[in-house]
Amino acid sequence: MNLVDDLLKTLDKMVNDQFDSVEFRNFFAVPLTMERGRFYVIQNALYTNNRRDCWGYVQGGAPLEVKRVIWQHESDELINDPRAGIDHYTLTVKQGEVIGLKPEDFARAEIPAMVRACFYAWHHIAMRNHWLTAYAASHMLERRNNGKIVQGGGMSFRVGKKFENELGINLKRMISLDVHVVADMDHSENISEIFERYVKSTEDRDFVLQGARESMAIDRAYRGALGYYMEQIK
Amino acid sequence: MGVTTNGIEEMWEELVRLCNEQFNTQPFKRLLQAKFSKERAQQYSIQMAYYVQNRRDCWGYVQGSAPLDVKRLIWEHEEDELVGRKSEGKVDHITLAVKEGEVLGLNAEAFERTERLEGGEVCFSAWIRLAQRPWLEAIAGSAILEMRNSGELIKGGSLSRRIGETFERDLGIPMKKQINNAEHVVMDVEHAHLLMRVARQYADSDAARQAILRGANESLMIDRVYRGHLADMLAVLP
Repeated sequence: MNLVDDLLKTLDKMVNDQFDSVEFRNFFAVPLTMERGRFYVIQNALYTNNRRDCWGYVQGGAPLEVKRVIWQHESDELINDPRAGIDHYTLTVKQGEVIGLKPEDFARAEIPAMVRACFYAWHHIAMRNHWLTAYAASHMLERRNNGKIVQGGGMSFRVGKKFENELGINLKRMISLDVHVVADMDHSENISEIFERYVKSTEDRDFVLQGARESMAIDRAYRGALGYYMEQIK
Repeated sequence: MGVTTNGIEEMWEELVRLCNEQFNTQPFKRLLQAKFSKERAQQYSIQMAYYVQNRRDCWGYVQGSAPLDVKRLIWEHEEDELVGRKSEGKVDHITLAVKEGEVLGLNAEAFERTERLEGGEVCFSAWIRLAQRPWLEAIAGSAILEMRNSGELIKGGSLSRRIGETFERDLGIPMKKQINNAEHVVMDVEHAHLLMRVARQYADSDAARQAILRGANESLMIDRVYRGHLADMLAVLP
């Protein structure tokens, strides 16, 4: 098996394993109430903002050709996703209306302490590492959301189903989660192609694996933190 | 630039003054007084392509740390630079730099095989470091270089125009054939206003305005060192 095929299989196993981690299990085990659902949707908007920070940093450190791929990726996120007709942040805010949130709720939202630590950790990987490490760290969060790779569905799909099953809100009405079920399949596949072009040695592979491992560790901490904070909402 | 509010107008005037002052410094004078042979023009052109690439690095980092609405402005700014305005039939600025090289007898391989100037490498690292600082300093550090290249703000012509005129004078290459220089003469007039748009919304305290001035000053200092290295490079070429 060649280097990249082997690498991609390892990455696929890593994103599947996330859902068996204690942090992910705890997160999904917290029963949703409307109040907890609101908390989650607001936190998801802040997470989306953090992704924009990190992809910017990754773009800064990447080779020119990769910068162009990221710029295109950020078109959906920052400017307009043709699947939704709006950018992803606006989409999240609009999704909030379904559960009684107003734009002001998003504007004045605070980042809880454990979440803040995770955001800074993602910033650190994106800004202070070899570009392949930074790139893999951001890519893995979309790979973890790709239902073609993750058995049982990616994160957005599973959370959407949780809203459907526990709050009776159809996934189609959770417009941001619904768009991400598809968008992150496209994103993670487009972005994944870069590995084919740039991973030429075991050293390159190790840069990717380092970013993937570290980002998945932060992702577990992040989901664990969200689960913890949601449990505090009685 | 509009109504004076909260010292923003004064800050803008200071930024414009600093940009104009660049052209009175020794490194800029040395560079702009150089006579361009074909070989000098070729090497200058290649090094400027690296400079453009470094700008892409820095704007990426600035985009990363800026607030969401500013990220969008930078994303639009980077369209011109990274991918070109396809709807207007315009190519990205790296491609433009390589195409301009053809007029000077360069091919794409010449850009690939020529190394970055040592002093340039150091300056590029310094600019990246500045781009990773708090976002108002970082954005000022990048935006000021486009203000310094705006014919609207610089008396006597922007850097791209002055270099373009030198190529015209010394090598007989008309400005319209210098497609990269010509594009920047126009584009950086438009891009130069980005910082003011941001300042109007975010430079609402003395600390914020000081941060902008600090970033701009530091970037212009690196710019002087960089231009000095370019002048040194030209001086040892025939």
